[in-house]
Amino acid sequence: MSQILVITSGKGGVGKTTTTANIGVGLAMRGNKVALIDTDTGLRNLDLLLGLENRILYDLVDVTSGRVQYKKALVRHKKFENLYLLPTSQIKDKSAVNPEQLVKLCEEMKKEFEFIIIDCPAGIEQGFKTAIAAADTAIVVTMPEISAVRDADKIIGELGRADKENVKLVVNRIRQQMVEKGDMLDMNDIDEILSIACIGQVPDDESVVVATNRGEPVITMSNSLAGQAYKNIVARICGENVPFLKPPKEGFFARLKKLFGLL
Amino acid sequence: MNDIVTIKGLKYGLQLTFAKGASFDDVQANLLDKLQSGNNFFIRGTTVFVPKGSFAEEQTEALRKMFHRHGMLFSTELKRPNLAPPSRDNVKTPAPKVKEAVDEAQKMMVINRTVRGGQEITANCSVLICGNVNPGAQIIAGGSIDIRGTCRGFVHAGAFGDKTACVVADRLMPVQIQIADIIARAPDEPEKVSQAERAIIKDNTIVFEPVSR
Repeated sequence: MSQILVITSGKGGVGKTTTTANIGVGLAMRGNKVALIDTDTGLRNLDLLLGLENRILYDLVDVTSGRVQYKKALVRHKKFENLYLLPTSQIKDKSAVNPEQLVKLCEEMKKEFEFIIIDCPAGIEQGFKTAIAAADTAIVVTMPEISAVRDADKIIGELGRADKENVKLVVNRIRQQMVEKGDMLDMNDIDEILSIACIGQVPDDESVVVATNRGEPVITMSNSLAGQAYKNIVARICGENVPFLKPPKEGFFARLKKLFGLL
Repeated sequence: MNDIVTIKGLKYGLQLTFAKGASFDDVQANLLDKLQSGNNFFIRGTTVFVPKGSFAEEQTEALRKMFHRHGMLFSTELKRPNLAPPSRDNVKTPAPKVKEAVDEAQKMMVINRTVRGGQEITANCSVLICGNVNPGAQIIAGGSIDIRGTCRGFVHAGAFGDKTACVVADRLMPVQIQIADIIARAPDEPEKVSQAERAIIKDNTIVFEPVSR
């Protein structure tokens, strides 16, 4: 049975596209046949994160308007043969695709793919409504910051209005030191407000930036904490029960610094 | 002892009659006992009729307050509640029409979910929310508001001018709270709330007091 996931957040810049790319690669690494659909028409980024920009021939708008078959527009990932990207247009805007077209496309793609992951644009306007229309599971990405949590709350409300009951949470860019000092919202604060099932807590990690610029999602880096967190998210999507990552042990120097800081 | 107060069920409320010669203090203690015993008679939103002239005015007023505190409506006249929805004009001329709004308040809207940011609940009657009211959400009720969860949004009870309306929540920490035409806002330094609280009007300001439930 194939699954259609939508990755959404409301607020921009919290890591929707990064999460989409990493979950997509993670699922493909496990041997699933995965399609990623970028619906952020006009501001497409997903191809960059996957390092596939130079291979794009056709886009989502070409497909939904009936110019080409979707199979022609799919770009296969260079490393993971099970992973395909359906990029969107950089020239058109969000009004170029409507919800019915995307639902129809996903119905068709379901026959071929085990997972279809839709990268949603920021905002709650038409682009968002189009992106969520076909999905049976929504993953809401947020950050430990009040504006991101507020927007996630709004999005969960909107998803409820669209009868999407299967909603999961991923908290991205957690800075453990700041949480410990009480300068950043912790998981309890976020859970209390959003009260939906959390399937991922991703630490803020410099290697994400490196990975983004290289076009190789961080999940492929074996020594990255964020990569490990994304692997766990993928495992949870596959129905495994994985405990959340523990914050890394502080090194000797960090402890020393803290000691002096206290004095 | 139980004969001090007799409760008679009517179609649209409960009628109380009192034993002859019973003192007001006995009656009040007896009623409080009954209210706190979790008796099935006294369901939130029920109207309680006390015949006019049973007690002195301030004593009647004390009873009214006691029943309001337990979520019930109080009336001295035995009449069928007027169920026509009050219009918005009531806000401008609260005095004569408060009565009507109070009657309306005996109906109750039940919301069985969390009200999230950007969502709004408006009702002529009282509102019961089994869930949280998140920041950015708005609840506006003609009657009282009862939240079985945490309240972090904007709440307005007694929107038609009913100053006896109250707001109850397991954790009451609204951004802004309004009862009738009186507004209060959250302190700039957030406080930890550990107990259920009720907001009511006392001396023309909104005060929070702990309640057990």
